[in-house]
Amino acid sequence: MFNLNNLLLSSEDDQKITEIFQYLREKYRDYKDPWGFNLNLCEKAVRKLLPLYRSYFKVRVFGAENVEDKAYIIVSNHSGQVPIDGMLITIAFLMDVTPPRVLRAMIERFMAQLPFLGDLTAQTGSILGDRANCSYLIERGESILVFPEGVRGISKSTPDFYKLRHFSEGFYRIALQKKTSILPVCVIGAEEMFPFVFHSKKLAGLLNVPSLPMTANFVPLPSPIDIYIGKEISIPEHLEKEAFDKEIKENIFHIENTVKRMIIKGLKNRRPFFDPIRKPISKFVIKEFRTKASHD
Amino acid sequence: MTKQQKILIIGIAGGLAQMTARLILTEHPDWEILGIDSRDVSNVSRIKGLSALNIKYSRGNFENLFRTHDFDVVYHLGRISHSSNEQNVLAKRIDLSVMGTNRILDLCERSGVKKVIILSTFHVYGALPDNSIFLNEDAPLRASIRHPELRDVIEMDQMCTSWMWKNQKNVSTVVLRPCNIIGTQIQNAMTRFLSGPIALRPIDYNPFFQFIHEFDMAHILYKSLDSIPTGTYNIAGDDFISLREALEIVGTKGIPFPMILAGGLNEVLKKLSINVPDYLIDYLKFSCLISNNELKKHLGPNFLRFSIQEALELIKLR
Repeated sequence: MFNLNNLLLSSEDDQKITEIFQYLREKYRDYKDPWGFNLNLCEKAVRKLLPLYRSYFKVRVFGAENVEDKAYIIVSNHSGQVPIDGMLITIAFLMDVTPPRVLRAMIERFMAQLPFLGDLTAQTGSILGDRANCSYLIERGESILVFPEGVRGISKSTPDFYKLRHFSEGFYRIALQKKTSILPVCVIGAEEMFPFVFHSKKLAGLLNVPSLPMTANFVPLPSPIDIYIGKEISIPEHLEKEAFDKEIKENIFHIENTVKRMIIKGLKNRRPFFDPIRKPISKFVIKEFRTKASHD
Repeated sequence: MTKQQKILIIGIAGGLAQMTARLILTEHPDWEILGIDSRDVSNVSRIKGLSALNIKYSRGNFENLFRTHDFDVVYHLGRISHSSNEQNVLAKRIDLSVMGTNRILDLCERSGVKKVIILSTFHVYGALPDNSIFLNEDAPLRASIRHPELRDVIEMDQMCTSWMWKNQKNVSTVVLRPCNIIGTQIQNAMTRFLSGPIALRPIDYNPFFQFIHEFDMAHILYKSLDSIPTGTYNIAGDDFISLREALEIVGTKGIPFPMILAGGLNEVLKKLSINVPDYLIDYLKFSCLISNNELKKHLGPNFLRFSIQEALELIKLR
């Protein structure tokens, strides 16, 4: 049962955050970030959010041993009407992965221009989803968090929960250019945080926002979250930087399928929450994936 | 360049032009510089080798100038400032900056000028929310997407660049796109913004800026004579600074203000005849950082004398 008293930072976590940020301060000692990444603000944010991460969303991380001390392009499914999944993955890579790292999440152009929010996301490590920006960071050994489904990933109606949208190819082009390995990640549980009610595409258009899904609640429901980190996928040596789309599509499809398999595995292994909605969705997604896989 | 040179500087009434002239004549006292300006030139320093002429920028006057003098080098620093929103000024800007520059370049080619150095600006890129970090010289010039009143700045830059490549066999041309030039002798929108008694301090945005001290800029203009080959170059140091930090260093009192209301405030200010360029509001919201990799290839890694902090400290002397 959820207990509000749990929403306090434990002394163990408090100590761990101090150590992690000492390590990061040393790592970024001579680095000035052109987006305004602010380690002090990041530390404050983690201190506030970690109790939610541990006790509210009860995040479990699987596959942390797959992460090596090098730069990755981390590719994840995108879920939930409000994209909290990015924040949870970022905390996971800070707190539950060794060595800890600040993931630089790629955000929508729309987000970058918002007052207050644009500045806040930049200070906590997000960057505008742009190839030049990513290349700059990868050259400096930073890992990038990408949601190749884009906005399509977070504005799904209930029957489409956990159904992966096709990945765009931008992230693979960057990986190819920089010969950076891909780390597949999947998040289970984020779809149920904000039960979907309605998606007003017209209103979104009028307000000039990429997506405007309506949900029943303003506060996310305490859906238990599982984060699965897969084994790294290397970029084939024979692929050239300017490889044709058809040559890289096969590789993108492979990554997409890897994440799909991780979702299926995650759905089978998840903890009970919101069963009247969750169970039929899980069954539907698994059945649909199997049917599709047999066709492929 | 060891041979005695005759240099034309267009826009000699400006502080940057005079500093450049002084640097050239300090290094080469036997060279000859003619500075021209449509503004009053009585304040131009009296230095041996520099003569200043107040002329109206017209086709006839320029033709006469190139007929009577045999220039080796032309510095075009006379672009009309783009910090005014007024419509009649815009028409004048297009006429002088674009049409006028076109005529000057034509005269340079016809009269056998060996080197042309043109001062453009990094404002051609525009401060847009989707700008990549460290724009290189190939980045699209998008300033006029949001601010059509800046089209003269872009048109002039593009015209000079295409002229540069077309005539590269005969004339070595350097187009410079400096970041914010600041200093005590320079009058531009950013220096006025920073060194005023108060300044708007955005509470909802905190963009990054690059600044170059006027002395460093003058030094690069001087180095363009023989150290920088034909091409377009961004001019900035390696460092950058947030607007809030910059205001703190200068000691200007920042009035916290939500930039979401800045457009409305500017409309009110315009009615009161207070001129704040519309494009500047974008620079107070979004970063426009430029890459200096091309310039470093020719000037080496440490080509600036003043850091951003020092440059900002120095404008306190204003």
